[in-house]
Amino acid sequence: MTARRFAERAIADGLVLAAILGWWLLSRRLPDFLMPSPWRVATTLASLFLTPALLADTAASAARVIISVSLATVLGAGLAIIPYRWPVTDGIVRDRITPFLNSFPSVGWAILAMIWFGTSDAAVVFVEVAILTPFCLINILEGLKELDHELIEMGASFTRHRKRSFLKIVVPLLLPYVMSALRIAYGIAWKIALVAELFGVSSGLGYLMLKAEIVSDAASVYATCFAIVLLFLAGEKLVLDPLSRLVAYK
Amino acid sequence: MPSANSLAATEPRAANAAWTQRRRSRLAANLFTLAFLAAWWGYSLTVPPFVLPGPAPVAARLYQFFTTYNLWKQAVASLEHILAGMAISLVVGSALALAAHYAPVLRLAVHGRLSPFLNSFSGIGWTLLAIVWFGIDEFTVVFAISVVLTPFAIINMREGLETLDRELLEMAASFTRNRWREFVKVVVPSLAPFVFATLRISFGVSWKVALAAELFGGRTGLGYLFNLAQQNFDIRLILVVIAIIIAFVYATDRFLFAPLQARFARPDASAGP
Repeated sequence: MTARRFAERAIADGLVLAAILGWWLLSRRLPDFLMPSPWRVATTLASLFLTPALLADTAASAARVIISVSLATVLGAGLAIIPYRWPVTDGIVRDRITPFLNSFPSVGWAILAMIWFGTSDAAVVFVEVAILTPFCLINILEGLKELDHELIEMGASFTRHRKRSFLKIVVPLLLPYVMSALRIAYGIAWKIALVAELFGVSSGLGYLMLKAEIVSDAASVYATCFAIVLLFLAGEKLVLDPLSRLVAYK
Repeated sequence: MPSANSLAATEPRAANAAWTQRRRSRLAANLFTLAFLAAWWGYSLTVPPFVLPGPAPVAARLYQFFTTYNLWKQAVASLEHILAGMAISLVVGSALALAAHYAPVLRLAVHGRLSPFLNSFSGIGWTLLAIVWFGIDEFTVVFAISVVLTPFAIINMREGLETLDRELLEMAASFTRNRWREFVKVVVPSLAPFVFATLRISFGVSWKVALAAELFGGRTGLGYLFNLAQQNFDIRLILVVIAIIIAFVYATDRFLFAPLQARFARPDASAGP
């Protein structure tokens, strides 16, 4: 068993090494604007986190992602609760708002935001929230549908206080769904952060990337892509994983 | 609806209440749509038309869209990009998932390295890299769509392979020693619901990726129209393209994928990303 595990590891890491090696060999034959060497991309990547001016862009993107994910989760939860509280609105949320937001193209939001709000931080956050909200909404709607009704009835038999039973029973039961909504939103947020920043603003990783693309600075384009992968993985390992463990133990 | 009928026979009042409830809910939804259009119209009167044109000019432009050949051509081009991307990603993703399933030694390489990497790489990143590599071209667009969709295919097909019915496989093994035959007759049919789930998810995602890819790296397609409209400040065209996409994606999901998937129904097959 351990021998097989070892072989699995060797192949997986060997593949990564082979990919980097292949990239390096290619970069020696191709010009820099097409395929920069891994080493140059690595130094550019490091400068995104170390050079103060570039770190400001990285931090701006990260701040926008964090704000948008939180807003989208709150907004999605709010929209999902409405039909739970007032069943008449079920058709509005489920058959109108959800499909509308869900099939709205993300580039469409980006262009409209640029026309409506000009180039500002708020425009970028608006675009990200607009794209993320349906994912949160769908997840929490699903959670509300799966709620254990017997548990809620039991709660009702213990107290007539609706708010109390909502806080003590519905909210804890819903937490795993909110958590997975947060996780999905976070995963998408980093990918679409670039789209949102390509149009609106003059800071952030998306802006850096577009600027690099225009002057054919391929090393920076590569580095921004990898920076996003790193930031995404870091946030998931350092924030989301501990948070979902916390929710699961409750 | 036989179940609704039997319910009505046993509990007429409850069924009636549920029916009234559903009708009310639908009425509320339609009123909401009207209110939305009215609010749009009202607001469009207060702002200049290059910020937000009203529903009537947009509808007129939509009519113009449907009667102009060139615009149809762009819509068809987008559809072609998407179908090509979906097909490629399904084949590549399934091949990778199958490889990891039948050669477990590759499992970590596929599910632990490749899939998370692809999954956390931004679609716009792929598009800009593809422009650097291949130039502004149809191939760039199809490449970007395929790479973005591949992890969805890997994850879904893995799910499918892991829930294969062991007893069914044992039974198949007792009938034939021919592994290929077993694969085609037993494994492939049990994977069908997961293929559908993959296609359904891919379709929803691919429209968004396709537009972004065509906007930056294409010379054809609805995303390219976006690019032109943005340069000419033709916000009516932007709204028309958005409306067409919403209508098309919603209609396809509702009238094509939902009934098809209900037929292949397996409750856990719709597990999305």
